[in-house]
Amino acid sequence: MSVEMVEIHARDHEAFLREVHSFEFWFQSVEGYLVEHPYGVDPNAPIPELENSEKEALIATLSTYCVGEVAALDGASGMIGFAPSRQAKIFLATQVADEARHLEVMLHRLAELGVTDAEGEFEVRANRNLLAFRERLGEFVEAKDWEASLFAQNVILESMEFAAFHSHMQSADSRTAEMLAGVLKDERRHLGFGENDLGRHLAQAPHARRRLQEIKNELDTLVLATFEDSQRALGVPASERSEVGRLYLDTVARLGFDS
Amino acid sequence: MTDPLLETTEFEPAKDELESSSFPEREKPRVRYGLEDDTGFDEVPKKYRRFYRRWRGKGDQLAPNEVICPVCRVVIRSARDLRPGDRVYCMPCFSRLTVVRAESGRLEARVEY
Repeated sequence: MSVEMVEIHARDHEAFLREVHSFEFWFQSVEGYLVEHPYGVDPNAPIPELENSEKEALIATLSTYCVGEVAALDGASGMIGFAPSRQAKIFLATQVADEARHLEVMLHRLAELGVTDAEGEFEVRANRNLLAFRERLGEFVEAKDWEASLFAQNVILESMEFAAFHSHMQSADSRTAEMLAGVLKDERRHLGFGENDLGRHLAQAPHARRRLQEIKNELDTLVLATFEDSQRALGVPASERSEVGRLYLDTVARLGFDS
Repeated sequence: MTDPLLETTEFEPAKDELESSSFPEREKPRVRYGLEDDTGFDEVPKKYRRFYRRWRGKGDQLAPNEVICPVCRVVIRSARDLRPGDRVYCMPCFSRLTVVRAESGRLEARVEY
């Protein structure tokens, strides 16, 4: 059969969802960009030299990113226990693996930058607002609150990370940019899962919207302040910082939440 | 052997609305596109990669068989030209989308949860 005769967009939605949430789909997807890339980078690429000020700013930013990754690692692993379907459980298991890899590659990059005890130090250097966000997400997970956990983690946190990493890549040194590019590829799945799963849920339970709007209002302050601080530290001009939040704002608008 | 998930000889996007007189552009036969080229997109299993590509930013243009996913900003490709009412899937972010014509005249994709 010629390739013109086949088309993936004809499939029914249930079959599509079954496949993309599967472990097999995840495995074949990450194979494309992780094989022969230890710690998410080309092992033959040179490690760029950075000025001290650049290095310090990058260390602080990566430390904040590590807090986000730990939050998502703990959050996703906890959510497996009370996820409402087998598909969601399997997807979250793949997300746990992704978040663990993100934390590992970021700690590795911190070590390359000269941080001797990256694991022990990143929380000290990280943004306070994101630490507060992590604590709040932990409370939602502890309470087995699926709606709030999914919204906080896979919509708010993931879409803000996606936007921030994408923006950072434009100005980052080549090694950090390559590492972030690999992380972004995983983030597409995480934020897409969040928006689509929550979108389907809200269609069935529209009464949940008001409570989630309140959660959004509470968490927005923490997340937006975190990324504003990180952008400032990386030297992104104030005029361009609002662009970073646009993807997040577009996402919540599609779900019907006010900004 | 053809992957059963890819085998859809009967597929006609927006088939239900084909006969609607309010969509005269649908009366024209579909243009078919060969998607065998390697777009460099590596975020989905190999057999699906030809259906997606990265948006290359300023200077990039969408072909008649392409739309941008509003959720993850990947370019989605179809084996036929796209028209309002067509459904497409974005595998990189798990989204189901419907093609719409924006006020600007450009084809866009809207998420259908």
